Amino acid sequence: MKLFGKTPLAWKNLTHDWRRLAVAIAGIGFAVLLMFTQVGFQNALFDSQAKLIDDLQGEIFIVSKAKFTLAAEKRFPINRLMQAQSVPGVSGAYPIYSELTTSVLRKIERGIGNRGFPIRSIGFEPGDPIFQVDAINDQVQQLRQPGTALIDRKSKKKKFVFPRDDDVKLAEQNLELAGKKLQLVGTFELGTDFAHDGNLVMSADSFADYYPHRKRFGDPLSVIDIGVVHLTDGADLNSTRDLLEQTLTKDVDVLTRDEFRAAEVGFWDESTPIGTVFLFGKIIGFIVGMVICYQVIYSDIADHMPEFATLKAMGYPSLYFVRLIVVEALLLAVIGFIPGTAVSRALYGWLAGQTGLLMNMTVDGVLFVLVATIAMCIASGMLALRKLLAADPASLF
Amino acid sequence: MMTSQSTIPATKGSFADGMRLPRTVKVRGLNHYFGDGELRKQALFNNHLEVRRGEIVIMTGPSGSGKTTLLTLIGTLRTVQEGSLNVLGNELLGASTDLIVRIRREMGFIFQAHNLFESLTAYQNVNMAAELLKIDPMIADGRIKSLLTRLGLGERIHYKPKSLSGGQKQRVAIARGLVHKPKLILADEPTAALDEKSGREVVTLFQELARDEGCTIIMVTHDNRILDVADRIVNMVDGYITSDVDVQEASVICEFLMEIPLFSDLNADSLSKIADQMMVHEAREGDRVIRQGDPGDLFYLIRSGSVDVIVDDGDQSTKVAELRQGQYFGEAALIHDEPRNASIVAREDSVFYALEKVDFRDVLEKSATFEQQLRQALFNRQ
Repeated sequence: MKLFGKTPLAWKNLTHDWRRLAVAIAGIGFAVLLMFTQVGFQNALFDSQAKLIDDLQGEIFIVSKAKFTLAAEKRFPINRLMQAQSVPGVSGAYPIYSELTTSVLRKIERGIGNRGFPIRSIGFEPGDPIFQVDAINDQVQQLRQPGTALIDRKSKKKKFVFPRDDDVKLAEQNLELAGKKLQLVGTFELGTDFAHDGNLVMSADSFADYYPHRKRFGDPLSVIDIGVVHLTDGADLNSTRDLLEQTLTKDVDVLTRDEFRAAEVGFWDESTPIGTVFLFGKIIGFIVGMVICYQVIYSDIADHMPEFATLKAMGYPSLYFVRLIVVEALLLAVIGFIPGTAVSRALYGWLAGQTGLLMNMTVDGVLFVLVATIAMCIASGMLALRKLLAADPASLF
Repeated sequence: MMTSQSTIPATKGSFADGMRLPRTVKVRGLNHYFGDGELRKQALFNNHLEVRRGEIVIMTGPSGSGKTTLLTLIGTLRTVQEGSLNVLGNELLGASTDLIVRIRREMGFIFQAHNLFESLTAYQNVNMAAELLKIDPMIADGRIKSLLTRLGLGERIHYKPKSLSGGQKQRVAIARGLVHKPKLILADEPTAALDEKSGREVVTLFQELARDEGCTIIMVTHDNRILDVADRIVNMVDGYITSDVDVQEASVICEFLMEIPLFSDLNADSLSKIADQMMVHEAREGDRVIRQGDPGDLFYLIRSGSVDVIVDDGDQSTKVAELRQGQYFGEAALIHDEPRNASIVAREDSVFYALEKVDFRDVLEKSATFEQQLRQALFNRQ
C-alpha cells in the first residue's frame, strides 16, 4: 500500500467506529438543521415584510423621512413627485396610497356587521406602472368602477372570510370598508406580514372615496405614501438617485430598490425583538451543535488517551495534536453539514407548502450555516483539546 | 598512602578494562517526590547510575521500589526535580519543552500495554514513529516490513489490532519502538505478553541493536528467561539503587576469587556475595597501599596493575615478591588480628578491589569449608 503524505489519523479515528460516526453525523446534522430552520424562518419573515417592495415596479422609491417602516402611516405631498419628474433620467413618478388603521373591513350578514378587522388598502392610478403582479395588472379595468377592490387571496383566513377561488361568489359578498359598501371584483396574491393581515387594491378614485379625511383639508390624494420612480433607458441608477435627493425637499428619502428593501428588513431585524429572537435561536442551534461535537471529539480523545500519550512519548509536539483536532473538527463539520443541509432543504420545501412562507435556501444562508458549523466544531474541538494536551505519557509505564 | 578511599562497589564495573564507550545515561544525586505539601512523599533517594553506550540494562525490584519512576525520568516523561540527569548528552534538569521533544525522538519506548491505534493497521501504527522522524518513505517502508516480518508478523502487516492476538499486538508495539533506530530504548516488561520463542526473538533483536547500532537498552523486567542478555543488572528497593552490577565485571571478580585457594570451594552464590561487598581502591605508581606494622582492616584483590611486597626487618627493606592482576594480599592481618607483616607499594597505577575486615570475617564464619581451607592454607605457608 502506497501512502501519500502522512497517515490520516484524524480521518481514520473518526471513521473507525461507524456507529459513533453515525451518531456524530446525526448530532451535527441536527444542529445544522436547527440553524437552517432559524435562518429560513428569519429570511422568510423578512421576505414577507418586504414582499410589497418586491412586487412593485420602478427603480427608485420616494418615502417620507418619517416613514420608518411600510406600516408607518407617514406621508408626503404629491408635489415631490412633480419635482421628481423634472429630474433628468426620470421617465415617470407615480403615487401609491395606503391606509391601515382606518381601513376596517366588515362583513355584513343578514344586515348585521361583524366587528371588522383592519386590512391594508392600497390605492393607485389605474394605468400607472406600479405593480409587477399580473393578477392586478390584468384586472385594472374592473377597478375603474367606483367602490370596487381586489382582495389578497392570502389574507388571514380567520379574519377575512370570503370565497377565494370563485370571483362570482366573491362579488356577491356584502362588505363594508371604512363604513362604506365595498364590492370585491377579483383576487391577487401578496401575502401577510407582521403588520398586515390582508390587502386590498383599488383605484385612487375609490381610495379617495373611502378615506376622504386622510388629509385634514383638501384633496385626500394630495398626500402619498410611496412614490414609484421609473428611469429612462440608460439612466444611471445611483447618480439619478443622488440627483433626486438633491432636487427634492429634505422631508423625503430617496431610495433605490435595494436600499428600500434593506431599510425595511433592517427595521424588523434591529428595531423589533424579531432579530433577537432568531439570533437567539441560531445561538441555541450553535450551542447544541457545540455540545454534540464536543462529546464526539472528547470521547474520541478519552478512548485513545494511552495511544495519544504514546505519541507524546515518541516526541510528537503539541502542535501536532492541535492540528489533529482541527482536522477532525473540520471533517466532522463537513460530514455533518452535508446531510444536515439536505434534510433542511427538504424541510424548507415542506414548510413552504404548509405555511405559505417563502422558505428559500439562499447562498448567504448556506454560507452562514457552513461557517457557523465549522466555527462550532473547531470551538468544541479546542475545548476538548485541553484533555488531550493533559495526556501524561508518564502514566503509561 | 592510599590516594582514593572510594565507596564505589567493585561490581559496578567502573574500572573494568576494555573499551570505554561514552555514557548514554548519567544519573547523579537524583531525588524525586510525589505529591505536595503534607502529602509529599519521596520516591527516589539520592540515586546514582551510569549506563554506557550499547549496554543492555535490566532493572529489577519489587513493585513500588521506584524503578518505573526512574525509567520515566530517564525517558523525559517526568520532570526532573532534584539532582542531575543526563540523557544522550542533554541535562534534563530544567530542560525546555523543545529539547525534551527532540530527545524523545531519539528514544524508543516499549510499554507494557501495546497502546496501538485501533483505527490503524500494524503497518500504519509502526509508520507513525517513522513519519515523525521524517524518514524517507521508501526506506521506512522497507524497515517497517522487515521489522514486522522479523517479529513474525509478515503475514499480518496490514491487519488492524482487532485481528491480532495480544502477543502480536505487543510485537507491533515493539516494532514501533524500534523502527526509527533509537539511540536509547526504554522498555517496560517488553516480553511479558510473549511466548518463549517470540520473547527470545525480541531480546535477540535488542542484542543486535546494542551490538550493531550502539543502541542502549534499559528495561524493567521480571522475566528471568531473558536475564542472560543483560550487561548490567540494577536492583532497586524503596527508592534506592541497592545494587548495580556489571555482569561481565562481576564474573571477572568471581573468576579471580575462584583462583584464590581460600575461596576455591565457595559456590557461585557466595562468591558473588563477596564480589558485591568489594569496593574499588585506586593507587598511583609508588603509592604505599599497606604500611608494615599498621593494623589490618582490608583484604585486597588486584584488578589491574601490579605491586611490590616489601618486608622491613628493622635494618633494611627487602622486596620479597611481586603481585599482579588476579592476585591478592592483606589477608593474614585480618585473620589473626595482627598488624601488617609487610608493606605493599604500587609499581604502576593500579586498581584494587577491597573487602572490609568485618565482611571478610563474616564470609569466614559462614563457611566451615572456607575456614578449613583457610587453616589448611595457613598451615601450608609455615
